[in-house]
Amino acid sequence: MTTVAAPLPALDRGRAGLRQALASEWTKLRSVRSTWVCLAIVVVAGLGLSALVSNLEAGRWAQLTAAERAQFDPVRFSQSGVFLSQFVVGVLGALVVTAEYASGAMRTTLAALPRRGTVLAAKGLVLSAVVLVVAEVTAFASFFLSQAILLAHGGKTLPAGSTVLNQVRSPTIPVDSLTTPGAFRAVFLAGVYLLVLALIAFGMGFLVRHTAGAISVFVGVLLVLPLIVQILPSSFSQPFERYLPSNLGVAMTVVSRTHNNFVGVLLDPWAAAGVLVLYAGVFVALGAWLLVRRDA
Amino acid sequence: MIEASGLAKSYGSTKAVDGLTFSVRPGVVTGFLGPNGSGKSTTMRLIMGLDRPDAGRVTLDGHRYHDLRWPLREVGALLEAKAVHPGRTAYNHLLSLAQSNALPRTRVDEVLGMVGLDSVAKRKVGKFSLGMSQRLGIASALLGDPGVLLFDEPINGLDPEGILWVRNLLKGLAAEGRTIFVSSHLMSEMALTATDLVVIGRGRLIADTSVADFIASNTEATVLVRSPEADRLGGVLTAAGAGVLARDDGGLLVTRMDLAAIGDAAHAAGLPLHELSPQQASLEEVFMDLTSDAVDFHGLAPERGAR
Repeated sequence: MTTVAAPLPALDRGRAGLRQALASEWTKLRSVRSTWVCLAIVVVAGLGLSALVSNLEAGRWAQLTAAERAQFDPVRFSQSGVFLSQFVVGVLGALVVTAEYASGAMRTTLAALPRRGTVLAAKGLVLSAVVLVVAEVTAFASFFLSQAILLAHGGKTLPAGSTVLNQVRSPTIPVDSLTTPGAFRAVFLAGVYLLVLALIAFGMGFLVRHTAGAISVFVGVLLVLPLIVQILPSSFSQPFERYLPSNLGVAMTVVSRTHNNFVGVLLDPWAAAGVLVLYAGVFVALGAWLLVRRDA
Repeated sequence: MIEASGLAKSYGSTKAVDGLTFSVRPGVVTGFLGPNGSGKSTTMRLIMGLDRPDAGRVTLDGHRYHDLRWPLREVGALLEAKAVHPGRTAYNHLLSLAQSNALPRTRVDEVLGMVGLDSVAKRKVGKFSLGMSQRLGIASALLGDPGVLLFDEPINGLDPEGILWVRNLLKGLAAEGRTIFVSSHLMSEMALTATDLVVIGRGRLIADTSVADFIASNTEATVLVRSPEADRLGGVLTAAGAGVLARDDGGLLVTRMDLAAIGDAAHAAGLPLHELSPQQASLEEVFMDLTSDAVDFHGLAPERGAR
């Protein structure tokens, strides 16, 4: 055994930076099973729940009341998996950070790349790329699967310019295409919603540095916060409700003709996306600040 | 070359490192010695820029760690052997480190071969024994072929063969002109491996010297003397200026007087000698003695003589 080996290629210029950090973080992300388990759940839950919910809703169309028909949203049915997936991408976003704190590997990482902002950026970018690709592919695949199921139940695309009133009066199950006003945006933003939630959990990972802790806070924001807001007197809580992450998600993923039902209750879809991105920005910025300031 | 000056670090109200100044020169193995909890690991983290010192600074070949352009090519460290994601393979762990400093993939296979882990490269680290984890940690330290290497308790969990391997590895790396700083709480291990010593206790510097000087200046030559007339001989030697300590078994421990002088004095007084033997204080004793005031938590020793 010897330590004498081929000399390493000399590097006179530059320094270890974002390019190296991205390669390193991608290797780390792809080389643990939890990543693939989380992503598989996103795909399976997306397609599975989409098919299940579309089937059930299609079977009920004939019996629905006018009010229920007004709520009938083929795009939102297709994105039913998001309710489950939002927790799964949260777990993935937190694990990217907290798994390294749990094992102590964060010290190895920061010794290899002492510029901590670069490490955080690389982790966040790799996580974002992976989650966005999987979430968007799942969102669109679920959309097409869902519409195919509605068609199989005898559904028909509503004529262009249809309103909720046309929908309520329609004898056949309404089916949407990506050209339905707001449909493409709704499907696209369903994927973006998952990406932004992953980044919120990612930021929490740096704040809490503990897997269970970070996931608990994340679930608290998604599930418990709405419950608390519900308990408060509605005159007091109503202005806040639209800013809850879960309601921002709804605002982002309903099609235009249904969105009109929620004027004053939900934010405009793009505004909702903006607010959610702002949340993520705050958490990631706090995480970055603490990562740079605190001992590793 | 590692140079620390006035390093201080507290965690809450605990002073982990308190005004440490020392230097570690290239070309030899420098042992970093101190009881458990004396601040060795904290010092290592301060050197690596992982923790921020409250005061003082530490440089590696003149640079602060944060300013190193390709850190793994300049400094390699084994801080915690188990600090690897348990679900990742050894190969992927090293690959991610190599990529972070633009090191070629082939280097991963090389270091795996160097530490003898090539056959388990594709196994998950969580299944590794402590000894295998130590080897993986050493592999990650060697990855960038750095000129400065830090090892925090590298022989923990190794079998005798592994310990010998680490000893030879450290000496070999030092002989190549590298700076080797290796911490241990075992003086005897350092005596076998290190040339220089930095000794700390309770975060403070006790010695920054060579192993040989450290032993010479801290060991008092002691002679064990046995005589059927121990009491009288003790009186004679004390009168001649020696320090005499009577042991429970009737022997006398004599200091400040060499073998010949003790023999002559006994002869002149007409007292018989049954034993006259030099005693070498073990390194472990010297170390314990020096740091005994600096150990944070003493074990509850059973009362003397209560056997």
